Amino acid sequence: MKRTTAICVSTILLLTFLSATTSFAKGDDFDSVVKMIEQFYSVRHQSLPFLAKAGMKVAGTAAKVRGGDFKRFADAGSIKLATFEDQNFNGDFTVFRKSLNDAMSSTWTPLIQTLSATDGEQTYIFLREKGDKFSVLVVTIEQRDATVVQATVSTQGVALLMKDPEQGAREITKEATIDQE
Amino acid sequence: MRSLFRTFSTPALVALFLIAPAVTVSAQDPRIQLSHLDHLATRASQTVDVSVDERLIQLAAKVFNDKDEDEAQIKKLVSGLKGIYVKSFEFDNENEYSAADLDTIKSQLREPAWSRLVNVTSKREGNVEVYVSLVGGTVNGLTVLSAEPKELTVVNIVGPVDLEKLAKLEGSLGIPDLGIKSSKKPKDEQ
Repeated sequence: MKRTTAICVSTILLLTFLSATTSFAKGDDFDSVVKMIEQFYSVRHQSLPFLAKAGMKVAGTAAKVRGGDFKRFADAGSIKLATFEDQNFNGDFTVFRKSLNDAMSSTWTPLIQTLSATDGEQTYIFLREKGDKFSVLVVTIEQRDATVVQATVSTQGVALLMKDPEQGAREITKEATIDQE
Repeated sequence: MRSLFRTFSTPALVALFLIAPAVTVSAQDPRIQLSHLDHLATRASQTVDVSVDERLIQLAAKVFNDKDEDEAQIKKLVSGLKGIYVKSFEFDNENEYSAADLDTIKSQLREPAWSRLVNVTSKREGNVEVYVSLVGGTVNGLTVLSAEPKELTVVNIVGPVDLEKLAKLEGSLGIPDLGIKSSKKPKDEQ
């Protein structure tokens, strides 16, 4: 009897785990990553999708007016942005990193990850193909703030990102948050 | 044959047949496991982990523009490569990594598959070792192990690559600038 109960419990646990993994892979990864950060660090995000889009347009127009060489990574209107401001990001980043990589590995390719134990900073860049373009997901976590950006980028944008991933990630995050500065 | 079956039980033989191909593939695969070093991230002031797998290399070949001089060169250099993996740690203090940490990498770079290149210099301080993996006289992988007092870097490139190619790729695709070159003078200069 005990054995039967154990088997039943194990089966239920396995099915629950598989169902959770599948829903992560099929669902919106951006939302899942935001939720993962919220659960792991016990923080809440602020979502600013419309402001981010408006910021993109303002930045583009301003650059054109100035006659500057405006190079844009992300397609206008494709940006999803979640910010976490002035909250505590205390926690073992190696555990967070493993959870994030495990969750993303089936649908995204990790390009570069940078961590700093002394400054408490983490940056993750993931890529995946999206038709003839690409989706980029950039997660930046600092001691008091964090940002999650998902955007569609052109092949030219991916080329720039691959040539210099760290600079590329900074540019994408800056583009998404430009209106807040 | 019968004696063979008598010596080993059937499950043991099944396990042997299952494991043997995996071991053979592993011996020929020039990709080395870098995850043994992951624990150092908790002590490092800066950790960089680059993973450009075959999918991303194919992507690079697709997205890099032939009309752009830099991109055209990178495209040519990565052509045929199957992966570029980098792990780099910077520490505030010395002795943050141990000889055992280095051994987790060096133990994978043993002969006959891997050979250490001599006559290699680097602008980096400390000990820089370069290993190549050869299959049938052809290079199919290269690993650089740079161990400085406050920095540890491992670069593992899978595919046909040489020092010249590595030098040209430095600074791109997340490969750090190691300043590696062969100290061996060309024959006409000797």
